Amino acid sequence: MKQAGSNNKTFSLKSRLKRLKRDSNRWSVFTLAIVLFLALPIIFIGVELFSGPGETWSHIVKYLLPDYIWNSLYLVFFCSIIVLLLGVSSAWFVSRFDFPFRKQMEWLLILPLAIPSYIVGYAYAGMFDYGGSLELMLRAMNMDFVRIDIMNRAGLAFVLSISLFPYVYVSARAFFLNQANNLLEASKMLGVGERKTFFKLMLPLARPAIVAGLVLVLMEVLNDYGAAKYYGVNTFTTGIFRSWFSLEEPETAVYLSALLVVIIFALILFEKWQVRKIKFTTSKASSTQIQRRNPKKSLKALIFSIVFLPILLGFILPVGQLIYWATLTASTVFDMNFILISLQSFGIAITSALITVFFALLLIYFSKWSSLRFIKNIARIGVLGYAIPGAVIAIGIMIPTLALDKWLIEVLANFGIDSGLIINGTLIALFYAYAVRFLAVAYNPIDSTTLKIDDSIPDSSKVLGVGNFKTFFKIEFPLIKTGVFSAVILVFIDVMKELPLTLILKPYHIETLAVKAYEYASDEMVMEASIPSLFIIFTAMIPVIFLNKLLIKK
Amino acid sequence: MLKIESLSKTFDKGKSYALKDVSFDLKVGDVCAIVGESGSGKTTLVRLIAGLERPEHGVIYLDGNEIASMDKFVQPEKRKIGLVFQEYALFPHLTIFDNILYGVSKLKNKKERVQEMLDLVGLSEMGKRYPHQLSGGQQQRVALARALAPKPSLLILDEPFSNLDSMLRTQLRNEVFDIIKKTGVTVLFVTHDTQDALSVADEILILQNGRVVQKDVAENLYINPNTLYVASLFGNTVQINKNIQSAFHCPLNEECCHAIRNEKIKVNPEDDGSDCEYITKAKVLKKIALGDSIQLLLKLDSGEQITVLTQDKNIADTITIGFNSKDILEFNE
Repeated sequence: MKQAGSNNKTFSLKSRLKRLKRDSNRWSVFTLAIVLFLALPIIFIGVELFSGPGETWSHIVKYLLPDYIWNSLYLVFFCSIIVLLLGVSSAWFVSRFDFPFRKQMEWLLILPLAIPSYIVGYAYAGMFDYGGSLELMLRAMNMDFVRIDIMNRAGLAFVLSISLFPYVYVSARAFFLNQANNLLEASKMLGVGERKTFFKLMLPLARPAIVAGLVLVLMEVLNDYGAAKYYGVNTFTTGIFRSWFSLEEPETAVYLSALLVVIIFALILFEKWQVRKIKFTTSKASSTQIQRRNPKKSLKALIFSIVFLPILLGFILPVGQLIYWATLTASTVFDMNFILISLQSFGIAITSALITVFFALLLIYFSKWSSLRFIKNIARIGVLGYAIPGAVIAIGIMIPTLALDKWLIEVLANFGIDSGLIINGTLIALFYAYAVRFLAVAYNPIDSTTLKIDDSIPDSSKVLGVGNFKTFFKIEFPLIKTGVFSAVILVFIDVMKELPLTLILKPYHIETLAVKAYEYASDEMVMEASIPSLFIIFTAMIPVIFLNKLLIKK
Repeated sequence: MLKIESLSKTFDKGKSYALKDVSFDLKVGDVCAIVGESGSGKTTLVRLIAGLERPEHGVIYLDGNEIASMDKFVQPEKRKIGLVFQEYALFPHLTIFDNILYGVSKLKNKKERVQEMLDLVGLSEMGKRYPHQLSGGQQQRVALARALAPKPSLLILDEPFSNLDSMLRTQLRNEVFDIIKKTGVTVLFVTHDTQDALSVADEILILQNGRVVQKDVAENLYINPNTLYVASLFGNTVQINKNIQSAFHCPLNEECCHAIRNEKIKVNPEDDGSDCEYITKAKVLKKIALGDSIQLLLKLDSGEQITVLTQDKNIADTITIGFNSKDILEFNE
């Protein structure tokens, strides 16, 4: 193909502008508007930085900031090691070997994702406490109880890792199952053994997938508030809460948020760099079935234990502890008020899931209908909220909306209306925040289903004289239904589990199950926290299993 | 009815051209084939005409109206162009009947129209089936019926036969064009297969690297190709380079490029008494039997290797070959 010269008439500024004018349509404008709307909280954090730090900032920098940074680095480092060990090994074993209960374990390994980290934290704290389950068990077996203190950094790293490793497991397994088969066969044909194949071939090739999972884990680690608070570890998130609620210094919360966002973007850049370095690995998914090795009995037992350990630690033990507590506290916790809270929680989660999926659909289709190429890239900025910790998003929404509310109250007062806080006093701010934070959760499954539909399908609808909206409802929506449905479910689960953002933005008379569990735990009533926790876990579990079945069926 | 003026489109943010300065026009009722290798810009060209891409330069007129230019862009759904995609693009969740109905749902007698189209493509009884229940050839005909149902003024077929094996291909090609000829619609037909183009098109447009190399009736493309590339599309050719010129003792204009079709090179011309202006001796390296003829791989005195065809089964190790100056093709390249 011939090179197009830069001085060519076609690419003169004038003709570019002419084309920009021709190709801009309302969809381009709408896409930009939605992206801007979703990016507002972060933009406000940036703008607020200019109004200077609060009074305590110098004190925080001197006494607390080193702690925040050091603790965050500690968590990032040790969680990375643990989740990589657990996630990659279990993914490799379930996709390459045959052993008892392999099929069940394949989806059991995902279940820890159904338990929010802070609840795993409560359960482990209970197990290792004086008079906790571990002590009772050892006493029953006439053994001495040596107390291990886990209410510290190391304990927190363990708790976060054990509840978050499935992110790495899922992405590594997907790679081992789909991408790697023909390469594995090639390696076998060249006479290379299992161990060398894993370390020399599969591990380097799977690195982008593994890193992608790891970055998700680390974002959750930095997002965590509940577990860190309970374990008494000072992190950026607990710092943001302290400056907001205890010190009542929004400026300081903003500065901490900005620092945290910088760390997050460093993580994202790290991922991009890792993935770009090995772009050549993206080969087509192989069509042949993977052949699993059938090892000796002793080896089978070893593999079984290795794969079972994370399930035991991440799901069975904490859920067991919670069920035990629940039997003790059911009579006091379970009342009409609790049912009301469950219904509220459920209603909030389903409403925000629908809103978020609606925004994702708008973003995906508006940017498709816009004929400007760069709009499609801009649309992806709207998805970045998943990287921003809930506490940061909450601060970024709280500050401008409080100002807006103040203004609204004044305006309405002129008309003799006593409105109260319109945005912050109601659920509007909360729904907005969930949409910002979980847009990616809705966007990705829908986007990947739309990619499976060949462009020629909507194109032929248009050539037949049918416009964008009608094409969407008649042709595209029926074909992406499953993707949309899984998006709704995934956002629903995430909202059910969400804690930091909800704590900051919820109207005072509204409770969710997550907030209730947190309140019990903070009030030294961790046993009572078990019932709302189990409710969250079971509502999250049903769709997790259901979705997994749906994915396997496909 | 279709007029295109210096149309251009680039890829990679203007780094390379998919189409450059393409101009041509079609008259009502024409059947025109667009021929080119993959990557020559064929599909980009028809997508621009259909309104699925936007030009970076140039103007497209349909029935005298400007439908795409620097200031104007008519949406594909307003263009009334029928398009049959390479992969048919039938709506998988709709029945055959509903697929064809889709583009004519605003017509008064829409059901009659759909049935008429089903009858036309010989699938009268298949209306209730879904696309995946049909064979490739049947899906192809449904795609055609769907595109023809709204009575488009222009029908575009984008590589419609490339998914089919060669036996079925010839049969279906004839069927499809029999149907099309009945409707009298103007057709643009994209293919990489010269045979396809030769058998159905009134005119053929050759695209190479995003440029129109030649647009002409089939016969002229054979007799009077504009470039060596066009010549080689319609039969094997040998480029007459300096070495071959010296072997045959035929000095030619150095500023031009010359070629000769393989079938115009005569083997042992003295045997059947035909006269050749330029002759040379050649050594036979290899004989390949192709059924009714024999292909010879020859080595000339100058060291050059060429292939020729002959019917003669008794070929010596060294033979004479020759050609006439009227058969030499000359290009300004």
